[in-house]
Amino acid sequence: MIRNLNILLIFSSVLMLSGVYALKFSIENTASERTALIALIDSQEGDLSILKADEAVLSQPGHIEPIIKRHQYALLIEPVKQEQFGSFTAIPMRPAKPNSAAMDSLFLSLEAGIDPIDAILELEGIE
Amino acid sequence: MAMTADELGSTISLDGARKVRGNLTQARIRWMILALVLGFGLVGGRLVQLGMVVPDSTIEGQARDVITATRPPILDRNGLEMAVDIRVPSLYAEPRRIIDVEEAVRKIRTVLPDLSEDWLRKRLTGDKGFVWVQRELSPAIQDRIMRLGIPGIEFLTESKRFYPGMSEASHILGSTNIDNQGIAGIERHMDGEDVALLQELGLARGNALKPVELSVDMRVQHVMHEQLMDAMTRYQAIAAAGVMMDIHTGEVIALASVPDFNPNEPATALVKDSFNRITAGIFEPGSIFKTVTLAGALSSGAVSINEQLDARFGIRFGRFTIDDFHGKHRILSLPEVYKYSSNIGTIRIMQAMGKENFRAFLTTMGFDARVQFELPEMRLPTVPKQLSEVGAATASFGHGLSVSPLHMLTAYAAFVNGGNYVPPTLYKRDKAEAEQLYRRVITEDASAQMRYLMRLNALEGSGSQMNKAALGYRVGGKTGTAEKVVDGRYSSSKVTNFFGSAFPLDNPRYAMIIMVDEPKAENPQSGTTAGWNAGALTGRIVQRVAPMLGIAPDFSPLIDEQLVPPELR
Repeated sequence: MIRNLNILLIFSSVLMLSGVYALKFSIENTASERTALIALIDSQEGDLSILKADEAVLSQPGHIEPIIKRHQYALLIEPVKQEQFGSFTAIPMRPAKPNSAAMDSLFLSLEAGIDPIDAILELEGIE
Repeated sequence: MAMTADELGSTISLDGARKVRGNLTQARIRWMILALVLGFGLVGGRLVQLGMVVPDSTIEGQARDVITATRPPILDRNGLEMAVDIRVPSLYAEPRRIIDVEEAVRKIRTVLPDLSEDWLRKRLTGDKGFVWVQRELSPAIQDRIMRLGIPGIEFLTESKRFYPGMSEASHILGSTNIDNQGIAGIERHMDGEDVALLQELGLARGNALKPVELSVDMRVQHVMHEQLMDAMTRYQAIAAAGVMMDIHTGEVIALASVPDFNPNEPATALVKDSFNRITAGIFEPGSIFKTVTLAGALSSGAVSINEQLDARFGIRFGRFTIDDFHGKHRILSLPEVYKYSSNIGTIRIMQAMGKENFRAFLTTMGFDARVQFELPEMRLPTVPKQLSEVGAATASFGHGLSVSPLHMLTAYAAFVNGGNYVPPTLYKRDKAEAEQLYRRVITEDASAQMRYLMRLNALEGSGSQMNKAALGYRVGGKTGTAEKVVDGRYSSSKVTNFFGSAFPLDNPRYAMIIMVDEPKAENPQSGTTAGWNAGALTGRIVQRVAPMLGIAPDFSPLIDEQLVPPELR
């Protein structure tokens, strides 16, 4: 009876021991993974900070102007002059359309088969 | 033989085998218990001891948190970065873990040959737990040192301040020391506010900090800096400075002073003459101060805009006679006094106002104290507490008193914005916030008259050089050529030139002060008075920045006509 109990206890303790160790190792594993991830994030944040600084340098007006000056002649650009600015009020109105009413009525009558020149010719007695 | 118990001696009692064994077991159990208690006591005691140990996380006297703490990025008004934090590796050593110091010294010096051998050997010898070897290195150098594989040599990632604009906004930003603490400029001011506290609490981590938005426009700042640098060579000046402000909100749009320094190398800030002339320099303002005298007199009602002033003869004070520079020597109207920059006329205007009232007006304009401003680099102006007759006369045209260009800027802003003094700021501020800070210094009518006078001076007076470049942007302003005191006498060859301006004057938005120190003539045809250098420089700056600030040119003469006060039409 006691012997059976002892055997049971020994087995269960071995089992629990292995369980506890498995847990310990898995936790250690996770912890090292976490450390690696933190290090990775850290280094990536570092890289990101450098990239952001690079971007900030590249978008500074003081960085862009020398580039523009270098390519001024190739691109045919120069600083804007006051005369180049306009306003909406300075734009002239659209010119008035030519009066085409007489021509329109002529074409309409031609289409209807009435040629006004016939009446004149008839009057003159030609034909 | 009778036997007594005494004779028998002690009774011999023999325990049975079982009892003996029982006693032995009990004794063993006791010993075991004692051993266990001692054993566990030992373990427990050690645990308590370990619990009491405070880990030393400081690095050479500073908390690790403080060293790795970040600062918030600084943005300009359009969101462009003016200062950012970058992560850089710093090399440190743990001398107690170094096995072979000589080898370590030799190997480190192959990568960092600048380090002195003796210094490095001394640094690495000993039983210390932490010493810096070289801070703020590049990732490439970190790689090479890691490859050397020296035990006890490690890296720590630090935050380092980086200013992408290089020297362009140096006097605004200031700089930080190697421990990322602000030592000058707005960086120092930020520390005074709350950043230092956050860093101390260890909350300044990563990207957690909210960016600080400044009122500065980097485009305008760039143009101003570039033009000032250009002026330095063009006029062979010893210094030049400029500052521009939004007259309604008090926001400083640009502030530059050359020679300046590169905030990425804080040591360059210590070079002589690189101080901030806008806030920390005080100068005799010269004729640009006439604007102050006229504004005060017009506002007080002592003179009106169509006043006639006798400028036929110089004014005598005992032995001295104060005369005009290019004197007309006739009766001048008030606008003519301003246009021809007549000293005599200005003294007459001041006298009409009364010297006590004039002195009180200077106090109203804040010429007695430092300007309320974020930059820590400030100097007290020197304005005499009491003005004598002759003192008041010279003060009326800007001599015998010294103020900073920032003082003049706030005054000019107040004169054109409708008469309200608004303290300048480097942080973003909207108009509603600014209006709560308004302090009326001159009347609205006087302000309108000042706008007319400033525009008139640009069209017909000493500002015409300026107006040539900035045609169409309705700039108005006043020149000031202050002779420098050399060996106790005013020198006519060494001058400090100013140009105070505002634009566009039909609906004023910005005020600007430009200073050129000891300029020479650009070519034989030009002169050394302010109109030729500070004035022309103002014009070129306005021409470049006005489109950026959303001001369209307008050549209509109607605008200038509308500026004329009704009394003069």
